[in-house]
Amino acid sequence: MSSTAETVPSDDQPSRALESLMGPLVPVMHQLTRLVVLLFMVTTLLFFMLRLAGDPALVLAGNDATPEQLEAIRAQYGLDKPLVIQYFNYMGNLVQGDFGKSLASGEPAMGKVLTMLPATLLIAGLAMAFSIIVAIPLGAWLGFKPERADRRSVSGIIFVFQGVPGFVTALIFIQVFAVNLRWLPSLGMEWGTIIDWAITESFSIPIPVPSKTWILPAASLSWFLMPSLTRVVAANTAEAMREDYIRTARAGGAPASTLLWRHALPNALLGAAALIGTQFAFLMGGAVITETIFAWPGIGWLLIESTQTLDFPVVQSLALCIATLVFSVNALTDLSFQFLDPRLRTKGN
Amino acid sequence: MSDLKVSRTGGLLGTEEGKTFSWEKVRQVANPEIVIAFTLFTILMVIAIFGALLQTHDPMQGDLLKRFTPPGQEGYFFGSDHLGRDLWSRMVDGLQWSMACALTANVLNLLIGSTLGLLAAEKPGWLRIIVNQFVYTLQSLPGLIILICVVVVVGQGFLTLVFTLGLLSWVVYMRVIYAEASSLFQREYVQAARLAGVSRWSIMFSHVLPGVRASLFVIFAFHFAGLLIAESALSFLGLGAPLGVPTWGNMLAESRQYMIRAPWMLIVPAGAIVTAVVTMNLVGDGIASLSRKKGRSIDV
Repeated sequence: MSSTAETVPSDDQPSRALESLMGPLVPVMHQLTRLVVLLFMVTTLLFFMLRLAGDPALVLAGNDATPEQLEAIRAQYGLDKPLVIQYFNYMGNLVQGDFGKSLASGEPAMGKVLTMLPATLLIAGLAMAFSIIVAIPLGAWLGFKPERADRRSVSGIIFVFQGVPGFVTALIFIQVFAVNLRWLPSLGMEWGTIIDWAITESFSIPIPVPSKTWILPAASLSWFLMPSLTRVVAANTAEAMREDYIRTARAGGAPASTLLWRHALPNALLGAAALIGTQFAFLMGGAVITETIFAWPGIGWLLIESTQTLDFPVVQSLALCIATLVFSVNALTDLSFQFLDPRLRTKGN
Repeated sequence: MSDLKVSRTGGLLGTEEGKTFSWEKVRQVANPEIVIAFTLFTILMVIAIFGALLQTHDPMQGDLLKRFTPPGQEGYFFGSDHLGRDLWSRMVDGLQWSMACALTANVLNLLIGSTLGLLAAEKPGWLRIIVNQFVYTLQSLPGLIILICVVVVVGQGFLTLVFTLGLLSWVVYMRVIYAEASSLFQREYVQAARLAGVSRWSIMFSHVLPGVRASLFVIFAFHFAGLLIAESALSFLGLGAPLGVPTWGNMLAESRQYMIRAPWMLIVPAGAIVTAVVTMNLVGDGIASLSRKKGRSIDV
C-alpha cells in the first residue's frame, strides 16, 4: 500500500484524509448499525407478538368494562386503527424517544424500567465480582497440578455444585442463613446507608455502607456463576501448563509461582474473559428467579410482573433496554479481547 | 456411485463397525467417571420408565392425619408434605415429567438447531446472514417474555412448555454445528463428493452430519441438563407445569411456606434436581472424553 501511495493521483487525497480521520470510528459505526438492526428486530417481533397475546384496551379498561368503554379507550389510544398503522405510529414515537406510558400506572414506561435497572446492575456486579475473586485463584490452584488427589476431590465437589440450579441454591441459603441461623434477612432490598466520616468539623467524607440485604441474593447468584468459571480457569491453566513455552521457562529455571502467575494464568484468563462476558450478558436479562425469590426490585422482577399483566409499553421498553445491555456487554467483551490477546491486535498500516 | 452412499440414519446413529458390541471395548474406554455417569443414568431411566411400579402411594392422594411425616417414618420413604402426600411418589412423577419435557424439547432443539446450522454453513450468503441475525436477536431477547405471552394466550401445560423451550433454545446447537460444519464443507472428501455429483442434501446429511455427530451427542447431554434446570425453574415461578401437577419446581414452590416445619419438603426435590443435572453433566463429560479417545477433539 505504501509503495503505491506515491503514484496515487492527488484528487484521491481528500478521501484518504477522510479515511484516516474516520478510521478508528469505522468499527464503532459498524457496531452501531448492528445495534440499530437488532433493536428494530426485537421491537418489531415483540410488537406483533404482544398484540397476539392480548388486547391493550382490555388491559386498560379491566375485564368488567362495557363495550362502550372499550370503544372509547380504543379511540383515545388509537387502537381502533389497523395494526400496521399502529405499528408505524409506535415506531414513529419510539424514534422520537417516546416509549409510551405504563398501562398499569400511567408512568413513563422507560422511566419505570430505568428506576429498576440500578438494583439489577448492583446484584449482577456484586455476584460477578465475588465469583471472579473466588474462581480465578481457585481455578489456578486446581489447574496447576490437576492430577493431585486434593485437586481432584475439589474438582469433583465443584462439578456437583455446577449441577445446582441458582434458585435451589437461593432456597437452601434462605433455609440455612435466614430461617435456621437468623443471620441475614431473606427478603427485600435496601440501598446501603451512607455514613459521613467526619474529618474535621466542616469536612466529612460520605462512605456507603453495603446493606445486609445484598448478601444472600448476591451470594446465591455468584454460587451459580462460580463453578463454571472455576472449571474454565482450571482447564485452561492445565492446558497452558502443558505448552512448550512453559517447559522452556521451567528448563530455564523459572520458579513454579512465576510459571503459574506470569506465564500460564494470563493465557487461561482469555477463556475466562469470554465466559465472564457471556455470564454478564446473561445477568443483564435480569436474574429473574433470584430477584423473584428475594423480592429484589430489579428488571427481572419487573419483566415477570409487566408481561403477566400485559403492560405492553413496559415490556417493550424492558426488551429494548435488555437488548441494548446484552449487546453492549458482548461488544465490550469482543473489544477487551483486543487488549487481552496480543495475537488479535491488528497491525498498524 | 452407490459405493459413496452411506445410509442416512447411519450417519447419525453410528457406522457399521460401531455397532458390534463387546465387553472388551467397554473395558478399554471405561474410567470411574464414565461408570458412575452411566450407572446413575440407568437408575434415573429405570425410575422414569417403571415409575408407576415403584411408587408406594398415590402421588395426588394425601392423608391429612399424616401431614409433615419426617422421612423414613410410617412408610413414607422421603416423608410427606403439607397435605400428607408421599414425597417419594411425587418425586417419581416429577422425574417423569422433567425427563419427558427435557427430552422432547431437546429433540426439537436438535432438529432445528442442527438443520439451520448445516444450512447456514452450506450456503454462504443471504441465508447465513438471516440465520445469524435471527440467532443474535433471539439471544438478546429474554425468552421469558415470549414464554409468558404464550402462557397468557394458551395457558400453562406440558405442550406450551415443551414447544416454547423447543422453539427458542436451539441456539447452542446452531452455533456449534455451524462452526464445525463450516470447516467440514471445505474438506477434500466433501469436494470429491460434490464433483462425483452427490446431491446437496445427501452431502449435508450423509457426509457432513456424521462429522459433527460426536459434538451433537455431547451438546445433547449438556443441553439436557440445562433444560432440566429451565423446566424446574419455570415451574417454580408458576409458568411451567400447571399448579398441582407434581413436578420438582412445583414441589419446591410449595415447600417455601413450610421451611421451618418440614425442611425435607425442600431437600427432596432439590436433591432430585441436582442428581439429575449432575448425572447429565457427567454423561456429557463421559461422551466428550470417549470421542476424544477416538482421536477427535471437541469444543463445546
